[in-house]
Amino acid sequence: MDLEGVVTHGIPLQTFKTNGNDGASYSSHEQGGADDVDGAPHRNPDTTERQGLLPAQTPSCNGETVDHAAGAQNKLGNTYTPQKNSSVDRIKRELNEVVYRKVKLWMVILFIFLLIVAVIIISLYLCSVIYEDEDENFDRSLFTVPRSFNGSFQLPNLVFTEELSTHSSNESQTLAAHLQEKLAGLYRSSPALGRYFSEAEISAFRNGSFIADYQLTFVMPEDQQDQLRNVTLSREMVYNVFRQFLYDQEQPDESGQMYIDPVSLKMSLRH
Amino acid sequence: MGESCDNFTDLNLSHCFMGTALYVRLLLYTRSNLDCGHELNHHRLSSQPLFNLSRPTAFVIHGYRPTGAPPIWIDHIVHLLAEQEDMNVIVVDWNKGAANLNYFTAVTNTREAAYNLTGFILTMQEEGASLTSVHLIGVSLGAHLAGFVGANLKGKIGRITGLDPAGPMFTSATPEERLDPSDAMFVDVLHTDMNSFGLTGAHGHIDFYANGGIDQPGCPKTIFAGKSYFVCDHQRSVFLFLCALNRTCSLTGYPCSSYSDFLEGRCLQCEAFKPASCPVLGYDVSQWKETLLQLGQTQVFFSTTATLPYRKLIYRVDMVTWNQYLRWGVVFIRLHSGRNFTEVRLDQKLLRFEQYTSTRLLAQFDDDLQQVQKISMRINTGNVIGPRYKIRLLRIRFTPLERPERPLMCRFDIILEENMEVAFRPLPCNSRL
Repeated sequence: MDLEGVVTHGIPLQTFKTNGNDGASYSSHEQGGADDVDGAPHRNPDTTERQGLLPAQTPSCNGETVDHAAGAQNKLGNTYTPQKNSSVDRIKRELNEVVYRKVKLWMVILFIFLLIVAVIIISLYLCSVIYEDEDENFDRSLFTVPRSFNGSFQLPNLVFTEELSTHSSNESQTLAAHLQEKLAGLYRSSPALGRYFSEAEISAFRNGSFIADYQLTFVMPEDQQDQLRNVTLSREMVYNVFRQFLYDQEQPDESGQMYIDPVSLKMSLRH
Repeated sequence: MGESCDNFTDLNLSHCFMGTALYVRLLLYTRSNLDCGHELNHHRLSSQPLFNLSRPTAFVIHGYRPTGAPPIWIDHIVHLLAEQEDMNVIVVDWNKGAANLNYFTAVTNTREAAYNLTGFILTMQEEGASLTSVHLIGVSLGAHLAGFVGANLKGKIGRITGLDPAGPMFTSATPEERLDPSDAMFVDVLHTDMNSFGLTGAHGHIDFYANGGIDQPGCPKTIFAGKSYFVCDHQRSVFLFLCALNRTCSLTGYPCSSYSDFLEGRCLQCEAFKPASCPVLGYDVSQWKETLLQLGQTQVFFSTTATLPYRKLIYRVDMVTWNQYLRWGVVFIRLHSGRNFTEVRLDQKLLRFEQYTSTRLLAQFDDDLQQVQKISMRINTGNVIGPRYKIRLLRIRFTPLERPERPLMCRFDIILEENMEVAFRPLPCNSRL
């Protein structure tokens, strides 16, 4: 019965022929030997070969093993070439090795790999979330050196009245408060100047197509004051941030009461 | 008027296969016979009454003709030259000699053709013409031919214009073996294809390098485009010159040591030419002759678009940032006017943004928008992962070059967040304080 199992099957015979000539048979033998240590059932193809080589020496080989071997070879298919496949097989086998209960080695490797990827992604995400923009940090308590500007602008749509010229009048106070709010708002929302801005004050209203005089105060930190004076808090910059604000307002607001003529804007540094 | 016209020699491929022996014909065109050339007798100049030696004379010299067909630009250049000045335009037809499958034969023929032409110009001089009023315009191999004529006449002729002087067989030539500034009192050269048919280097008192002088926009990049793959870049020199003669494109060249420096905005100074502007390509570049002769050899650069009128709208952009730490990034800028917009991607090189230091760049737009109503910008610092950086601008200023009548545009206090488009309305810069 055992012989039948081998002979009736064409493939084992062929392998037998090829293996017989060279060292391949030896290597497969060796592998078989190594595999025996583990004693796993799927290693039977090797066993068959060995048996094919030495049929006479193992006449008492029980039919069970051979049958199983033939079956296993069937599963492997007709493309069985021992030498090349053996290394791939070995890797497959090793990967399928049971590490712990049903957990196989390939699962462990895959898990470790995914873990590494996850760690990288999380750390990158954290990096961008935790990232602190140094330019947004400042300590206002260090801003001690004042810098002031004054100037004037025209409100061509307002009519000048005697009441407005008196600083204490209700009307004058309301208008001044409104304009101060506007100036303070525009400088506070400026990304570059906002942090240095301290206060805006409307000092007077004058006749002559309605002119308002204003005064702006900024505070700067002592250590960078030279650079700030020359660049960020230069007259050009403070003036143009105001002018730009007025130009942007120009279109929708032109007919409004509070319209400020951008061309009339004047500003100078107060010493 | 009954007279027969002499046309440019038309040959075909079979002539090229057989090879042609050199035969130089000189076809005269003047304002009174723009469409009907008259062949000149090389020795008896007075036999042609239209040839007035008191007028300036421009010779148009073509290059190698691998197919034997007449150059397509001949009529065009004759008309445009006659428009510049009342002059004699002489087309030097050496098609027999230039039409050879073997390029080396054509190269050898240039020497002989040059002797022929030299003889003719000497005859002109004997008849009373002034050498300074002679202008040779040579295309490709014709540029070297013009150079040989100039050298034969000891550099005494007025001007030589070389349109992409031929490169093959001339790459290791000494100045005597190619076009060089000593060949005429003024030599201007335009380069468009230095990496294949054109010659690398500087060969005139002024050398114009269109788009760096190597590859032209709109020219095919692969061999699948057929013939134009080979000739497009080289031929562009002629088209640019024609366009300049036509005054449809005014192409200003900026003196610089390299095209990349020019693109980085490092070479926009024209002080050397004051009170004139930087040299403009074309017939009138002779206006800069005196300054250029003093400067020695000048190399000037400009960029073009892919099609007529080739001109780009150039802005110098200056930015000042207040970020504490150094930042690098590339910038994309769009100018809007109504629904139209034109875009420039300055992504060849990372720009350096240093606190309170001006970052300059050259923005060359393909379309010329009359009035810019809106500008939008986007930055990219190049880091794919990690935080989104911000570039904090104190001021950005757009200076239109070559258009002094247009206003400078400014904007103040902007934050550009990585990959976020920021749009703003430009203000006039001239602030009255």
